[in-house]
Amino acid sequence: MGFKMRYLDLKRKIRDARMWAIQGITEAGSGHPGASFSAAEIMGTLYFKRMRHDPSNPNWSERDYFINSKAHSAPGFYSTLAVAGYFQPEELRTLRQLGSRLQGHPVRYSEHQKQHSVPGIEYSGGSEGIGLSVGIGIALAKKLDGKKNRVFVLIGDGESDEGQIWEASMAAGKFKLDNLVTILDRNRIQQDGFTEDIMPLDPMKDKWTAFNWEVFEVDGHRVEQILDALNKAAQVHDKPVMILANTVKGNGIRHMANNPQWHGKAPPKRQTEVLLEELESECLIAPSIIAGERENYEDKIRKVEREGVDMIHLDVMDGRFVPNTTFFADTIKKLRRLTSLPFDTHLMIENPLEKIQDYIDARCDIITVHAEACTENEFREIQERLIDNGISPGIAINPGTDVPKWMYHSLHNLDVVIVMSVNPGSAGQKFMPEVLTKMVVLNKQLRQHGFRGYIEADGGIDATTLQQTYDAGARIFVAGAAVYSGGDIHGSVIQLRHKAEVALERRLLNHATQLNIRADWMKARKHILIPYANELRIEEELHAIR
Amino acid sequence: MLLGSEKKTADMRGAYGDTLVELGRDDPRIVCVGGDTTESLKTKKFGDKYPERMFNVGIAEANIVSVAAGLVIAGKIAFASTYAAFIPGRCVDQIRNTICYPYLDVKLVVSHAGLTVGPDGASHQQIEDIAEMRAIPNMRVLVPADAVSVKYLIRMIASTSGPFYMRLARPSCDIIYADQSRAFELGRGNILEDGSDATIIGCGLMVSRALEAAKELKRKGVSCRVVDMFSIKPIDKDLIARCAKETGAIATAEEHNVIGGLGGVVSEVIGETYPVPIKRVGVQDIFGESARDEEIDMLLEHYGLTATEIAKAVLEARSRSRK
Repeated sequence: MGFKMRYLDLKRKIRDARMWAIQGITEAGSGHPGASFSAAEIMGTLYFKRMRHDPSNPNWSERDYFINSKAHSAPGFYSTLAVAGYFQPEELRTLRQLGSRLQGHPVRYSEHQKQHSVPGIEYSGGSEGIGLSVGIGIALAKKLDGKKNRVFVLIGDGESDEGQIWEASMAAGKFKLDNLVTILDRNRIQQDGFTEDIMPLDPMKDKWTAFNWEVFEVDGHRVEQILDALNKAAQVHDKPVMILANTVKGNGIRHMANNPQWHGKAPPKRQTEVLLEELESECLIAPSIIAGERENYEDKIRKVEREGVDMIHLDVMDGRFVPNTTFFADTIKKLRRLTSLPFDTHLMIENPLEKIQDYIDARCDIITVHAEACTENEFREIQERLIDNGISPGIAINPGTDVPKWMYHSLHNLDVVIVMSVNPGSAGQKFMPEVLTKMVVLNKQLRQHGFRGYIEADGGIDATTLQQTYDAGARIFVAGAAVYSGGDIHGSVIQLRHKAEVALERRLLNHATQLNIRADWMKARKHILIPYANELRIEEELHAIR
Repeated sequence: MLLGSEKKTADMRGAYGDTLVELGRDDPRIVCVGGDTTESLKTKKFGDKYPERMFNVGIAEANIVSVAAGLVIAGKIAFASTYAAFIPGRCVDQIRNTICYPYLDVKLVVSHAGLTVGPDGASHQQIEDIAEMRAIPNMRVLVPADAVSVKYLIRMIASTSGPFYMRLARPSCDIIYADQSRAFELGRGNILEDGSDATIIGCGLMVSRALEAAKELKRKGVSCRVVDMFSIKPIDKDLIARCAKETGAIATAEEHNVIGGLGGVVSEVIGETYPVPIKRVGVQDIFGESARDEEIDMLLEHYGLTATEIAKAVLEARSRSRK
């Protein structure tokens, strides 16, 4: 069984939710961006992938329940509900305003609260530390009725100061509520400062374990880890499950991240467009394990996982579609056990439709086939089967080929387009700069036709070409030799990230300049911009900002 | 007449526990949450009969009421009970935000309200709860006068949607409604005794004292109307206004602080409808103290919660009446 997450689709929806949340917050002039963003992946993974629910029938008797105890994450919660289909996301722009259904803190939707709530909200929050108890009540009722509904409760670390959290913790242990999963958004920041200064909470894992919970610890911004823990949670019996999600408050907007100042403050409305651009510009690094010394794939995966890369790129070559042969589904199957990192599988093979099931069974997360290797009908079938199996479908094009016209018919179910910047199948080729123009044009055309997925740059990507392809619209970067050939994997990944950051900062600064808010943006961003001042040639300008 | 010739008493908690068992038999949605006081509250009777529907979460009142809210969200009708000192004393916020705001079917039935808790002293003598609970939007507040009322009202709140707060007294209370055919309607006070010179509006165990006071006054030639205002919220405005108009003076009697309780409600209503002199009998904004069970009457006397004090209050209000 795969995670069924359709990784890139999930990432995109979470990105959209963040974007709608920030629009609501800047429009309202208040709200809690920090908490909305630390919990974005948690809420997104639940609503877009894990929970059984039906936006067209919010009271569905078989639904799973979500209780948002840390209710100040309302903007993020609302935007997640909207992206999930409970209401039109444009309504986020009414957040916190008089007459809005989107109150400062979410309100349980019922006949009594139609004016101040939206369908899908089960619980009225706002006062801290209560939601877990409510989740326990629901879980008890479902057990009593012999029902299979599951209850997911999101709690914050700040609210864990409340004694009631621990009253509830004891009770869930007593009642052996294995239909209850609590996720702790451990962002380590509360209104007055850092949690460990205000009221130390650690060791959290030990505390919850001692209260008779099964505890799984994850990086709360890695959807694959969250899903993995949720899948494990479903196997736990006679115990409630705590998923301790280590998160970054304000994650997604670099100058808000990990800064207590942004607990409950809205960024100025004039910055909205730049903030949206930043959210849309998240980049993913996918090392290709065929680079560097031969084989030894396991070691290469372990090494890059430690460096926090986003995915593993798997180049499958059959010696027919391309001159080289690498590995096939059986190898991927073995590698799958090593990591929960998404597998970004690039099939450089003939007749991909014939082999597709092997790669589905190997639990790849993204499977990309070549436009040159299939017909429209074949691709349609591949796409359908991948979607059914929760796998992100992609299409790749060689430097000399254009996107086939038929691809424009199925863009909404297309998660990635790999634009090759070398001819696949033989090592040591140089990046082909003419591909940059192609990428810019293609990106524009695809967006115009409603493509909401990712452009992936593959072939000769290093520190320099990463920036170029980034500017051309790529957001996923396959790095082979740049990671594995230099002998310093750690340094290489840092350098690639740094270059991506420089590209991002330059882009945002240019945008701010266009909007006539350059100084304003630089002031808000000063502590972030300092490390890139030299490369962005803004040293003096930055220095002048107090 | 309502009062029998010889006084009979009955335990309110016992009536609650028995009724809960009956309700549980008829309706599988009925569940109960307790907090280490289930024996005392007599909800244990329900737990013994339906163990799978009884949840004891220990001494954790915030958790009691919030777990009850969760049970209701998942389709149950939840009764949550402990001592009045702690529900609402320790969880007004949870009651407000988690139960009242979303209008959940949580029925808070608490005991040991008022001074008659006895030996436990002021820490356990809840005298502010009516004020706290009635100030929350959506909440309904009931203070039954005897065990018969308890049976009726428990059934009523179980079958009426939304949140309720119902406070019971610890001691065995005089039976007021010996005539069991008497109806109880939410938001309607019951006239127990008619009269023309003044009205005594009471709730809880002060209703029997109000009836005694009316008797005393009758001997002095003062004709008193006596109203059992078991429904503090919603309040029977029409009846109060009518009493003001027809009798010209009002005394209230409650085992609660005179601030914000029944006396407060009645004052508000007559002030806005038909202002007449009023005198509030109740705890005069001070904390109580311990008293052994056999000293309860003396305790009430010490704090002015007696028939004699009510009679005095009636005469005082009447003396200011322009009727």
